[in-house]
Amino acid sequence: MSVAAHQTTPRPAKPRPSPVLPIALVAVVAVTWAATSEQFGIGLDIGSIISDITRGAGILGELLRPKWDFLPQTVEPMLETFRMAVLASAIGCTIALPVAFLASRVTAPNFATYLADRSILNLVRAIPDFLYALFFVAAVGIGPLAGIAALILFNIGVVAKLQSETVDGIDPGPLEAARAAGGNRLQTVRWAALPQVLPNYVAYSLYTFELNIRASTVLGIVGAGGIGRLLLREYKFFNWSNVSVIVVELFVFVFVIELVSITLRRRLV
Amino acid sequence: MIRFANASVTYPGGVAALKDLTLEIPDGQMVVVVGLSGAGKSTLIRAVNGLVPPTSGDVVIDGVSVRKASPHQLRVLRSRIGMIFQTFNLVNRTTVLNNVLMGRLHNTGTFRSLIGWYKPADVEIAMRALERVDIVEKAYVRASNLSGGQQQRVGIARALAQNPKILLADEPVASLDPPTSHVVMRDLQRINRELGITTIVNLHFLDLAKVYGERIIGLRGGELVYDGTGAQADENVFRDIYGRSLTADDLMGEESTAAAADVAL
Repeated sequence: MSVAAHQTTPRPAKPRPSPVLPIALVAVVAVTWAATSEQFGIGLDIGSIISDITRGAGILGELLRPKWDFLPQTVEPMLETFRMAVLASAIGCTIALPVAFLASRVTAPNFATYLADRSILNLVRAIPDFLYALFFVAAVGIGPLAGIAALILFNIGVVAKLQSETVDGIDPGPLEAARAAGGNRLQTVRWAALPQVLPNYVAYSLYTFELNIRASTVLGIVGAGGIGRLLLREYKFFNWSNVSVIVVELFVFVFVIELVSITLRRRLV
Repeated sequence: MIRFANASVTYPGGVAALKDLTLEIPDGQMVVVVGLSGAGKSTLIRAVNGLVPPTSGDVVIDGVSVRKASPHQLRVLRSRIGMIFQTFNLVNRTTVLNNVLMGRLHNTGTFRSLIGWYKPADVEIAMRALERVDIVEKAYVRASNLSGGQQQRVGIARALAQNPKILLADEPVASLDPPTSHVVMRDLQRINRELGITTIVNLHFLDLAKVYGERIIGLRGGELVYDGTGAQADENVFRDIYGRSLTADDLMGEESTAAAADVAL
């Protein structure tokens, strides 16, 4: 056969397998072990989880039997949580959109703006929502206003981060076309970049709305309003059946938001 | 008039894409630029509208220096230069009309454009541009739902909507099949003849270049190696431009080109 006789350049030797993957794998295992060990870590004793698991049985049993007559009492605080989440999402996500475009190399006007915006965003995200709530409770007093303010900052951090990374990945072709047509920077972002990332923006906004519903339970605990206050009270009295009602309600909320998100995204993409 | 005066472009990585190019293109001419990949065709075209400004020498459009232009002057300059791309560069997720209206951004205030409040006169211009390339019935269809040839016609409409004096086309048919390529090239030719718009087209199929190029400019390694009419450009000329003998890959195909030549005459 002529296949063997055919004169070609010699085949290259197979390159050595990269050591990165096995090293990374070993590192992950080692760090995990160190984190759980007595010496360097938190001293995790997996045995105790198994031997003491029955102690939680009573609580679990009550959690599985929600007392539905508690439901009417949860309506008002739950609505408050809902209102807080709506308001905070609306304001937070609106602010996050321009912030996101400034935090992407593709759409930022210059490197300095990009760097400054990124740095501020990292700072905003580094501070936990819980801490924002404590601060605003001290600043504007106990109540939903403190909660909304805390959630807004939290939302800007989350949405701007996710959105800016989406902007990084857009097709630069339309941006070049808009620039070539004499469009200024804002016009280019509006007509070449925004349509490309709009479905993601809607999805991220709905996702933060969901996060807000859950976060406002935590915020309630520090006095920032909403269902969290009630949750804390029932927990303190060991009314696990009542806590369970709230958890089920939250589950339904999150589930409905997820459904809306899927439907909207399908229509937009 | 477009004038390249000893224009050179060196990219930040050190690659010299255009070397000391001196060239004049009078108003209304249809110029085809040929050369291998990496010969500097795209750079030449982008030097005209300042997307890639010359690093030395200058490009002067109707007396305006691309190199010395302020950001505002550059936008004004670009508004009079339409551009067509190999990969169309349409925004797929929005309508054909919105894509074409991009050509009117220069005439729309920032606030108006942010909320999409285009002036009726601008929408009219966009619609006329769509009519000129025979695709107005798709005005409210999403760009992603069009075929490649239709998308390129929308790309041409977007450029026409600028009411340009100059049209730049960077490999406009490289992503299209041969018959569609001729449709698009004939559109460009018709626009050049009927509206008198100076047109610069990058092509890498030599037979297409001969058919449609009133004037052919050959680039090799960033340098000008041929400047003459399409009729004068014979096989020897192309061999010189390409630095090797021609192969079938350099031609789009005999039959379709011959057919197009008949139509063009």
